[in-house]
Order: sequence, then C-alpha cells, then structure tokens
Amino acid sequence: MGLDRRSFISLVAGGVAGSLFTPVIWKTLDDVSIWTQNWPWIPRLQYGEELTVPALCKLGADAYGVKVKTIAGRPVAAEGNPDHPLSLGGICPLGAASVHLLYSPSRVKNPKLRDGSSFKDITWEEAEELLAGKVKEAGASMAMISGDETGSVTDVLSGLVGKAGSDKSFFMPGESAPAAAALAMLGGDGQVGYDIENANYVLMLGADALGSWGNVARNGKAFSASREKGVKFVYVGPAQNGTSAVADSWIPCAAGTESVLALGIAAVIAGTNRDRSFWPGFASFAKFVQTSYPLDKVAEITGVSAATITGLAQELVRAGRPLVLTAAEAGQGLGAFELAAGMSLNMLLQRVNTVGGVRILPWAPKVVEAAADKKAMFANDLVAYLSTVADGGAEAPALLMVYGANPAYALPNLAKAQAAIDKAGFVVSFSSFMDETAAMADLIMPDSYAFERLDDAYSPYGSGQPNYTVAAPVIKPVFDTKPAGDVLLSVAAKAELDLGFESFEDVVKAKAEALGADFDAMVEGAAWVSEEFPVQDLALWTTPLQELAVAAQDGKTLALAPVLRLKIGSSKIAIPPFNTNAIRFNEMLGNDMYVLINAATAKNLGLKKDDAVKLASSGGECKARVRIFEGVMNDTVVAPLGLGHTAWDAFSRGKGDNVYKLLAADTEAETGLSRFATVRVTVSKA
Amino acid sequence: MAKCKSCVVLPFLVGLVASIVLGWWGFPKVLYSQKTQPIRFDHIVHVEDQAMACEDCHAFRDDGSYAGMPTNANCVGCHEDVQGEDPDEARYVTEYVQQEKEVEWLGYQKQPDNVYFSHIAHKELDCTSCHPDVANMSTPPVYYENRLSGYSKDTMKMWQCEECHAQSGASNACFVCHK
Repeated sequence: MGLDRRSFISLVAGGVAGSLFTPVIWKTLDDVSIWTQNWPWIPRLQYGEELTVPALCKLGADAYGVKVKTIAGRPVAAEGNPDHPLSLGGICPLGAASVHLLYSPSRVKNPKLRDGSSFKDITWEEAEELLAGKVKEAGASMAMISGDETGSVTDVLSGLVGKAGSDKSFFMPGESAPAAAALAMLGGDGQVGYDIENANYVLMLGADALGSWGNVARNGKAFSASREKGVKFVYVGPAQNGTSAVADSWIPCAAGTESVLALGIAAVIAGTNRDRSFWPGFASFAKFVQTSYPLDKVAEITGVSAATITGLAQELVRAGRPLVLTAAEAGQGLGAFELAAGMSLNMLLQRVNTVGGVRILPWAPKVVEAAADKKAMFANDLVAYLSTVADGGAEAPALLMVYGANPAYALPNLAKAQAAIDKAGFVVSFSSFMDETAAMADLIMPDSYAFERLDDAYSPYGSGQPNYTVAAPVIKPVFDTKPAGDVLLSVAAKAELDLGFESFEDVVKAKAEALGADFDAMVEGAAWVSEEFPVQDLALWTTPLQELAVAAQDGKTLALAPVLRLKIGSSKIAIPPFNTNAIRFNEMLGNDMYVLINAATAKNLGLKKDDAVKLASSGGECKARVRIFEGVMNDTVVAPLGLGHTAWDAFSRGKGDNVYKLLAADTEAETGLSRFATVRVTVSKA
Repeated sequence: MAKCKSCVVLPFLVGLVASIVLGWWGFPKVLYSQKTQPIRFDHIVHVEDQAMACEDCHAFRDDGSYAGMPTNANCVGCHEDVQGEDPDEARYVTEYVQQEKEVEWLGYQKQPDNVYFSHIAHKELDCTSCHPDVANMSTPPVYYENRLSGYSKDTMKMWQCEECHAQSGASNACFVCHK
C-alpha cells in the first residue's frame, strides 16, 4: 500500500489529533511560561540560615554598632543594633545602604600600581614589598592621613609613620579637633561628649543632630524618647532641614554665626542676678560678653531678634538640665573659639561633667607606642599642612599614606590639597573604593570592606559616655583585598620597623585589655561602656578672650550654608547605589544639583527657579541650579556636600558639583586649626 | 470507495496512535535530562549503621525555618578526614571539605522563588508524602531536570498544593504561598 497525498494528510491529521491527547502541547506551553521566569539575568533568591551578625558602621563621621542580616552567610541587609549604645536600634542612611556597597562597582578588587595614566594589577606580595621599600627610602619624610578617628588602624598607621621618625600624622577635618581645643581653652583635657538622653532642654546651635551630626542614630532615639518626657528641642540655623522640621522650634540664624548667638545668650545669662563671681574666670568672661556682645549687636550679626535671644536665655536658665550643642551645619569648619563659645554657655549653666550635660571622656588608651597621641593628632591641622606644601612653604612628603579618607575630594582649600597630594613623592591609598584619592595614588592596597575585616571604635565624637566596640568580619573578603591593619603591620615588619604587634587582632586585644573590656564579649556584639569620667577643674576661658571672626556682609555675596545629607554620602563615601532613588526631584535636576535661596534673595540677584548659576568663592567655583525655598534666610545659599564626584562609579560620577571647592579656609591663630564655616560666595547666572 | 476509505482511516489511526505513544513515552525522554547527585550519599549507612536521626541533618532552625539540605558545617564533624572506603566519601572530603566548597545537592522538590513554602507548617505530614523515601536508599534516585523550565520533574505543581489545601481545609488564598 503506497502513501498517497490523501493518506499522508490523514496520517498527519491523526498525529495532530493524537497529540491533543498527550502532554506535548500543554506541558510545553506550561514549561515555556516557567522558562521565562528563569532567564539568567533575573535575580535568584539564595536560601540558607538567616542570622543577624553584629558589625560596625563607620561610613559617616560616626561609628556605631549595626546588625547585618545574613542568609547562608551572605550579608543581605543592615539594621540597627538595639543592644548598642550608639544605635539603640537606629540606623543612618549610609548604614542602611552599607551591605550593598560590598558589591559596589567602584570596589577596588585587588592591589594596583600606577602605570602611566592608568593602573596595572599586582600581587599583594609585590605591593607589600614595594611599600616596604618606599618606607625605608622615605625615612622621616613621610605623612599619613586618616579619616577614622575611632579605630586602631589609625594607631598602626600613625605608629608606622612615628617609628620612621615623622610627626606628620593627620586626621581629616571634623569637630573632634576644635572641640578638644575648645575644652583645652576652658582648662579641660579629653574628648567632648554630650549626654543628650538625660537633658530636658536641647539647644542645637547649628548642630543638625537628627540628620547628620554626632551619633545620628542615638540622637534620633533620644529625640524620640523625649517626646513623651516633654523635653524641648530647639534648632538654630540658617535654613530648615530635617532637624528643624521635627524640632519643637526653629530659630533662623545667619550661617556660621551660631557661636555669636551663644555669646549673646551668655551675656544675658551673665547679667542675671545670680552670684557667680566665685567661679574661676567668671568676672572677666562676664565683662567680655557684656561688652563685646550686647543684644543689639548680636541681633544684627545673627539675624535673631533681641527678644528671641533673651527668651532663649530664660528658657535655658529655667530648664533645669539644659544642654547646648554647638556645631557647623556641615559638621565641620568651626574654629575652637567658636566651639568654646557654645561650651562656655554650658559652663555658665553648670552643665559640664554632669548628667544630661557636656561630658568629658578620657582619651583612648595608647597601645601602639610609636603612634601619635590623639590629642596631638587633633592639633595637627591637615588643611594648613597641605596648603603650605602646595604653596612651597613646606617640603612635600616622599611618602603619603591615606587610610579611610578621601582628601582629594573632601577638603577645604581643595585645589591646594590636590596640588599637595600631587607633589608627594609616592602616594598610597588603602581605600576599598576607587575614590578621588585612590585615582590619584601611585599604589592602591585595597582595604577589606567594613564587613570583611576586624575593626574597632572608641567613643566617636559626641558619645555621652566612654564606649568601645569591636566587630569581627561578617564575611570573607569578596575580592582580593586585605585588612589595612594587617597589611601595615606586615609592611612595617618588612621595613624593619617594630610596632610591637604581629597582627591587628593583637592590637585590638591590647586596647580591650587596657580598657578592661572583654574582647570575646565585644566580638559577640556587646559594646564596652564606662561610667567613669575624669574629674577636671574648668575655668571660664583660660586663654585671652577675643571677638569671634565673622565674615562681613557686603551686599554682593551670600553666606554659604553647606549641608550634609547622609543619603547622598559623606566625606568618605560617594552616593551609595542603594540610595540613588532617595535623591528627590527637588534636590537634583538631571545631573545638576539644586542650591536653595529664598524668593527675596533670588529677586535681588535676578534669578528664578531652575536657572543655571555659578557659585564662586576665593576657594573655587561650582555650578548648580536654583531652587526657591522660603525655609532659607535672606542672603544665604544652601548647597549640598557630597556631590560632584570625578571618580567612583556611574551612580555618583558627574552628578552635581563638589561644594568643597567653595570652602576657603583660614587659620585660627591661637590653635592653628582651620576655620571654614563662614564662607561667602557670589551667585551669578552661568 | 472502500479502498479510499481505508486510505484515509488507517493512516489517521496510525498517526493518532503513533502520536499518543510518542507523546506519552518519547516526549518525556526528550524533555527531561537525567542527573545524578554530585556525591552518592548513602542514607542507609548514616541512618542504620550510624543511628543518625533525620533531624540531625534536616533540622528546623530556632526561628522555625527549615535547614533543608545539610552543608559542610553539618558533615565536617565526622568527615574532616576520610572515614571509610567509599570512593564517594573520599571524593567529598577531598573535593568539597578540603576545598571549603559546598556540595550543590539537587533538590527533587525545589520550588520557584515566587513560592513561599514553610516546612514547619507542614510538619505533621510524613516527609514521603512529598519527597522520595531516600532514607531507605543507598543511592539517591535519578534527578530528572526539565530542559525547558530548569526545574525537577518532581517539583510539585500549584494544582497539587491547591488540591491538598482544599482537602485539608487550609486556605488557598494567593498570599498563603505567594508573599
């Protein structure tokens, strides 16, 4: 029987009909639909044991305990640590984005050596040998910059520099240094802290305590608890921000003049009937403030009415346990005199070394013998040093090592800082990320990221009581990185400089022992906390009193109010990829950043919404767009720090401009510290 | 005409039968690839000879989540070094334990990511209601992987979940399984 056309069609028809009674069509359709769920670029869940592991967040100026949630050992999210005294369950915007930075495209994945205008990959052995050779060659012509005031890696790095015979150990600018110098002006010695939890009236003079200043997570918890207790929080600053939005009241005050307001309030308090004449230094202080800071003068400088100044003074006196927090809006830039002005207000109110007041914390114990004392490091001013090197007034170091800091991006007098780094003989960056300083470096020895290394933190600025935290690694290094502490000890040994320790863990254990803390318990997440405060005899100013320097209003320039919003990043970290969605429509327009001025100022300058403008100071220039916001004082421009990166990754590079370029610093004669909180800028159409 | 009729009917029947046979017998052979577990894990040796309980490896964690397949952490207590003469055990020790690498066990009933299945909510059921009775096997069964979907042939379909939920009076609301 042959298969003719009709039979063939019949066979095929039978086959098709038969297939309808088989799973072929239905199963194929079902499986194809499931196949579309499993394309390789679709993220897959990782299953496994879910744990929360204690860790440290040091991405901002603060250092506090967090808990990292892991699935099958892999970190997936960070949350506050309710057991840590500086978190109390809270977390900052950088901490919330911290886990994702493990896999940031800007991570430096292995050691790199400069090769012309780019880098070539080298091994860790080659990198350590190279650095050891440079250390030997440089001798005392060596400097280090650290952005970590709290950790022992800074001690090891400073120890290496000190052992080589150099005293050039520097911190990045912050408020710890001027606060310590301010305390010294009042006869004290130690770190400055604030017992916010136990105060019943908190006057925040410029301190963005709920947004970016001090122990942000802890401050937020204290504020939250205060709502039920009837504690009043008053914010004083040139513009509305997150802190002013929730505080009980906001008092507009010209940018950078909060310290003048402090002395104005002090003059009112000193003029009350209470006899304080027996207090050391009171008579001369009272005479100074009443002579130099009468109400009308303070009102004119600050823009705060005389009645409001008097009212603040009365509220402080009546409060019982008031606390005055003095800071620059951006958490840096005030001189020691300005911070001492706020401190003297606390002294007048008898709020120093008392519950709910300013606390004086002992310095961290020194375990690396050759390291510079913290106090000495705070007195070394980095901005002044780099400016001098750039100007040729000091020899550029043969070897410059940078840890936990990004001085090529986040310093005032930025052009000079970059020039000085450029002049250094050999620059080594220990950054985990390709930041601006790493991009300029000759050698990058990438530090393992926060959750990949053992790290510690002693009493970050603002802590209300001495505390020490140790965090063990949460995960093995994702890339070919090594903890900087161990690398530095290894390099020191190769350079025949004995720092007294073989491993960084031994350094941390020694510090824990010196404090009387239990290393093993701390690794499990229990922070060490002390209630012992050094007793000190303070006086109302031990140094000659003089009027605070305030930039003159000239009618042509505006007061610059730089602000720090942690979601955008910090002086160490660029915009975390996780946070890009948190940048709002009123903060950026495309790749341009907004600066804020009010309608009256805009009218004076002939500007309207979204105009492209150029901001210029003696330090440099920035580009931006104008946003009209009535929460800004007259003749003031608010500009965000943290934008305008030139390195890092696509999430931050080329977005906005770097406001640090506008920060022109001058040097405080008495302390040698840099001041840059009262910068004035011109704003003109671009 | 009779000849013409058989020319139509017979090929139709042949095509019908051939298609049904191929569809039910041949299609699965093409659709599924056969895989064996990376290591031949002998449950009988562990359960009978070593008197281990199922929960020693397949345990609920403190938070109620199910550990599922054991990891090296479960095994290194005994298998840090080679214990016996089984070549698979030797391979496990040298290729996984010593290399600090986890075995990629094949899960016969692994559900898609969009399904939330809680073992502890089903702990009253016998394991073999859903899983093969591997406890009584020296060699784990062959794993049939669907070449199209990538899932195991034994991965339970949604209608099976719904049927059992309906029969047992459990909710069939979407959010019960799809969070």
